[in-house]
Amino acid sequence: MKTLFKTIWQKICSIHLTVALCLMITADSAWGYFCLNRHADLFEPLNDIGLVEWIATFGRHNLSHTLWLMLLLVLLFLLGLNTFACTTDRVLGLVSARSRMGARRFFFRLAPHVMHYAVLIILSGYLGTYLFARVLDSRTLVPGGSMTLPGTAATITFDAFDPIYYEGDALPAFENRVLMPRARLTLTRGDDVSTAVLAYNRPVRFEGYGIFLKNFNPTMRSGGMSGRTRIDLSLRRDPGVRLYIPGMFLFTVGLVMYLVERVFYKKNKKETL
Amino acid sequence: MKCCREQFQYLALLVILLPLFACDGKGGSGASFVQVGDFTVNRISEDITEVRDGAGRKLILVPRGTPDPDGIEPCRVVRVPVQRVAAYGAFDVATMKALGVLEEVLVGVTTPADEWYVDEVREGMEAGRIAFLGYSSSIDFEQLRQQQPELVLTWDHSIIPMLDDLGIPCAITSTPTAMCLNARMRFVQFLAPFFQKKKEADAFFDRVNTTLTAIRKKTANAGPTPKVIWGDIYEKRVYVEPGNAWVGELVGLAQSDYLFHDVYGTSCIEIAVERFLYSGEEADIYFTYRTEKTGVTSKASLARLNPLLANIRPLKSGRVYAPLPHYSQSGDRLDEILTEIAAILHPECYPGFEQKFFKELPETDPPEQGGIS
Repeated sequence: MKTLFKTIWQKICSIHLTVALCLMITADSAWGYFCLNRHADLFEPLNDIGLVEWIATFGRHNLSHTLWLMLLLVLLFLLGLNTFACTTDRVLGLVSARSRMGARRFFFRLAPHVMHYAVLIILSGYLGTYLFARVLDSRTLVPGGSMTLPGTAATITFDAFDPIYYEGDALPAFENRVLMPRARLTLTRGDDVSTAVLAYNRPVRFEGYGIFLKNFNPTMRSGGMSGRTRIDLSLRRDPGVRLYIPGMFLFTVGLVMYLVERVFYKKNKKETL
Repeated sequence: MKCCREQFQYLALLVILLPLFACDGKGGSGASFVQVGDFTVNRISEDITEVRDGAGRKLILVPRGTPDPDGIEPCRVVRVPVQRVAAYGAFDVATMKALGVLEEVLVGVTTPADEWYVDEVREGMEAGRIAFLGYSSSIDFEQLRQQQPELVLTWDHSIIPMLDDLGIPCAITSTPTAMCLNARMRFVQFLAPFFQKKKEADAFFDRVNTTLTAIRKKTANAGPTPKVIWGDIYEKRVYVEPGNAWVGELVGLAQSDYLFHDVYGTSCIEIAVERFLYSGEEADIYFTYRTEKTGVTSKASLARLNPLLANIRPLKSGRVYAPLPHYSQSGDRLDEILTEIAAILHPECYPGFEQKFFKELPETDPPEQGGIS
């Protein structure tokens, strides 16, 4: 049993596996590029409905365009396993050789492994997002309208639409167009009332939900197809954030450790020589 | 050699793992999934169908008389078959006609009676069965409530909060990107579960698909490839049908060259005037959005409306087509529309074809219409 475990462990640790996986991921990503081209609509629902449901619906029924993504998930899972095993193997080696190096030296030699573990945490976070995020699909608010966040007593009220328009005259097609849509919101939680500005790439976080601007109207100063003002929101409660933000922090720590090791210890080594 | 064996073992492991990721968590008898462009119909069980509308909103369709599904907001639950519908768009109305339910279910529209060319709607409005709810920009919600619709089909997202307050479910039937040819043909399959008319929807799709196959066959060895543009210039703005729209695809399928094939996005998308004029100088055939009602009766009148258009080739030496007023309300005759467009592109393949949806604009207005020649 011990031998079997050791064999499996060695297979998973193999650098051949790493190289093979990296090559396969490269080839698969290239395939994915062609599948994504003009088929982005197949992948957009992934943000709303989660991975399991997406695979069961869009994924399964468009295999010629989506198989690459499923394969990519498998390959990333295997690469994650391979990275974990390799790194743990090295860390165990370092621990056993700890007596031959100082505590500080030992600490900094852990840098690449900290980064590897951080990457695994980040990947797990993203997988958690796709598997467990709770997404409320498109919610429309008009000025003065409000909605209650599910499972809470908190409400969001859309106060006003305050966009930034194109003011130049170099691009006639952009004349009077909205360059940056901005929605002023009031966030109410019991007696606690606050305000926030929502824009593209500027989500609002409230009561554990991420509030994202999905669409808006009017798109021009003079009004679009419908002159009525509205914003479409997408709300997400994402447990993956709890993993990938610490993961990113850990990666930064690992990077700093690695830089310190490279700058000071390698330099000292050269001087000693 | 050892390395190859090892890699083969890894590959085998991958093949074993892949089906685990691709397996269906739901399945079950009666389960099916249909994608129609951005719309989806996911039949979860015999009784429950989940649809995603053009805005990506999930609606749950359940039979009448069954209890409310747990955890779903009431305004996202639609009882089927739906018996009373208010519709904003002519295309939605035409699709209901294709399903054979128009007369029984339509109770409200946002176009006044004198602008309708669909007999069932005109008659329904005369009989008081179908109400004019006001123009889309100024809906009379009191009138809407009186009509007691069980479903509103609309392209206007801003009406959703008001309908939620009234407790009326609604489905958004427009999408952020233009409908491709396949989606246009299959849209009927998105509306079908609301009325439990799957057979009718499949029959409609088969009919249009047969027409499309016939068009491909007939135009396969057609003569010179005509170059086509579809759009219009309105004062400072230019709107065209993008290459991903159904008309762009159809032109390509009918052995023709759609000059905006590289434009991607929503139907009636805005492009730069220079881009329009550049393609216009190459084009042989031009489809305008404008109709007779907007003053387009000849190439000369079109050029008068916008002098920039006078420089494009179809106005100087090619052909220009304007839709007839009933064209936009004739979605239930999609097969005929596709054939007519193919006949316009390749008249040599359709000798003596009689046009019903488009009119070729003469060089100048006939004198009796008072046009300037």
